[in-house]
Amino acid sequence: MSLTLSTVSEGRQDSEGQWAVETHGLTKRFGENIAMNGVELLVPRGCAFGYLGPNGAGKTTLIRVLLGLTHADAGTMRLLGHSVPRHRAAALARVGAIVDEPRFHGHLTGRQNLQILAAAREPEAKQRIGPSLERVGILHRADDRVSKYSMGMRQRLGVAACLIGDPQLLILDEPMNGLDPAGMQDMRDMILSLVAEGRTVVLSSHLLDEVERTCDAVAIVDRGKVIRQGAITELLAGSSFVVEVECTEPSRAGELIRGAAFGEDIEIGPLGMGVTLPAGTGRAIIAEINRVLVAGGISVYRLQEVQTSLESWFLQVTSRLGEPE
Amino acid sequence: MTTASDVIASGPAPILLGRTPDRRGSWLPTGGMITTRFMELRKRRGLMMALIVVTIGIPTLFLTVRLLAHAFAPKSYGPAGGEDIFNALVAGVLYVFGFIVAATLGCTAGSVDLTEGMFRHLVVTGRSRLALYLARIPAGLAIVVPLVAIGFTIVCAVCVFAAPTQINYQGVNLPAGLSEAGLQHWAADHANEVVCNFPYQGSGSNNIDNVISNAPCNGPGGGPGIVRNGPPTDSTTPTPAMIRAAAVQIAARDYSGYSNIFLSPSVGLMVRTGLWIELEVIVGFIVGLGLGSLLGQRTVAVILMIVLEIVLTPILSRANIPHMINLQRSVVGLAVAHLEPAGLGFVFGGGGGPDGGRGTSLLVPESRAAAGLVIAAWLVGWTALGAWRMVKRDA
Repeated sequence: MSLTLSTVSEGRQDSEGQWAVETHGLTKRFGENIAMNGVELLVPRGCAFGYLGPNGAGKTTLIRVLLGLTHADAGTMRLLGHSVPRHRAAALARVGAIVDEPRFHGHLTGRQNLQILAAAREPEAKQRIGPSLERVGILHRADDRVSKYSMGMRQRLGVAACLIGDPQLLILDEPMNGLDPAGMQDMRDMILSLVAEGRTVVLSSHLLDEVERTCDAVAIVDRGKVIRQGAITELLAGSSFVVEVECTEPSRAGELIRGAAFGEDIEIGPLGMGVTLPAGTGRAIIAEINRVLVAGGISVYRLQEVQTSLESWFLQVTSRLGEPE
Repeated sequence: MTTASDVIASGPAPILLGRTPDRRGSWLPTGGMITTRFMELRKRRGLMMALIVVTIGIPTLFLTVRLLAHAFAPKSYGPAGGEDIFNALVAGVLYVFGFIVAATLGCTAGSVDLTEGMFRHLVVTGRSRLALYLARIPAGLAIVVPLVAIGFTIVCAVCVFAAPTQINYQGVNLPAGLSEAGLQHWAADHANEVVCNFPYQGSGSNNIDNVISNAPCNGPGGGPGIVRNGPPTDSTTPTPAMIRAAAVQIAARDYSGYSNIFLSPSVGLMVRTGLWIELEVIVGFIVGLGLGSLLGQRTVAVILMIVLEIVLTPILSRANIPHMINLQRSVVGLAVAHLEPAGLGFVFGGGGGPDGGRGTSLLVPESRAAAGLVIAAWLVGWTALGAWRMVKRDA
């Protein structure tokens, strides 16, 4: 997927129907506290989309507003092309969601809980209960009471509850919570398979590594505003990166690099140094660093370009924007 | 992990199916919603056990003890059934406890989706919240109405089939269901018992006054039910023929009192009482459902419903509070009590319905039409409140 902010804007002009989620100026207040402050979000169809933000940034509030669990104070939104809340029933007919920790009637079995939810959906939903349970890997425990389920199994049951509606759009709030490493791998595979089927998955998570491995595009929300959104590769391409250098005399090597004015920031360590280079710097600079060091009598044992991870980029972006305005 | 394509390829029920148009924005619940809601409530073992114990277990236990006691010691313990037992169980147990269990079920149905986290899942389906609320009404009533009906049927069965063979009127055992002529004939055959025990308001007939004054009863001056109009005018010992004649006249005068006593409740009374008890149960469930939905939690709602039924309603139904009479009349328990079938007594310690019944009614007066309006207002009002809260609530 090669989504950029520019293509997002163009797409918005071309066809409103191409967005799975579309919000404009969405605002939600809780008394004096503004949980969402004019959120502008465009989620393209058929991708895995990460929705990231620090605690209290308004991630879950946006999901709750989108799903009609609470109302917005201002703004407009569309789900799968349907205006919400005006055509809420039509929109939610093709949406499945887990919000916060998935909870169910503990005295009923997993299958019975899904029967209750299927009864509220279209008639075919009842026939999807078995396949959904099988798909999330809890068919063998489907007739056990939910009170005996682990957190991870409830999480899987939550996903099964989404699948019985045969959704075009899945909104999963922290779906990896409570899952062991194998379960996380399963969940990751399932999300990818859902996307491969042409569905859209919006993933809200604080596990940035998981988001990076699962999602095609992300939006970063901070203080109730979407501050960045786009394809992960393109967002990270616009960030600085680090060249790790393992060499002799790290202090003198650092002086040489500073003198050559290569990097914004140089971190000296016992075995070498890390040179942070600004976004857009070409790879030729790495060879140039090597040449300067060798010319200065420094023995270079290793040079490695370290691409910025989503986590470090997220921390850069949110810490910069998290300062008082 | 099985993928979607695996399931589609191998499973009999593919996960991607065509869709039947559904009217999920409609406020009308579907049959599936009602049956699954019924299942959800029915599977609550603790609650169901409590409902069964109260509506069926308590009357059954009480009647079983009476049956056994009468079987083993018939002279010490009377028959298990009869109209008095029917009155006591219906007005004293099923009426109050039926309301409480129905209210408990209603409060549960109105709040558990919220407290157990299912409300959010249900809202996300896009189904009308009003339909989600309304589905609970038939589902809950389908549980509590039959339970109370079973308990009531057991009471009726025992009260009819284990009824006493004779009625007791003023301390005299006599056959039930006699016609006026039949009672007079029986009185002629048991003249001394009638003259000495049956109540007699003096009529000015010197013959009868003389007979009952000089009849060979155990106590001085005749039986306990006799009211004299003045000193005896004649101290002559009455002949058997005179006693028989007086007994026949007394029996004729007492026939209306006698005819209100039955060995067992009539079919008509049982039917009317059953409907009345079910009305109380429906009111309890609907109000409990609305209150549970309004408060969003069960415990406080149940406590409030019990306080309403056990404390507030009896007080407001009987106390004459100045300037509050119309407020008292708006209490649903009082309104239901005023619809009590004639011939059934003792609700809240008062007498029977407005058309009769035993004892004097102690209830705050209210017409049946007003009572019906009050009940309808409570049913509609609490349904509207509960549904409104559910529609407006943040999930």
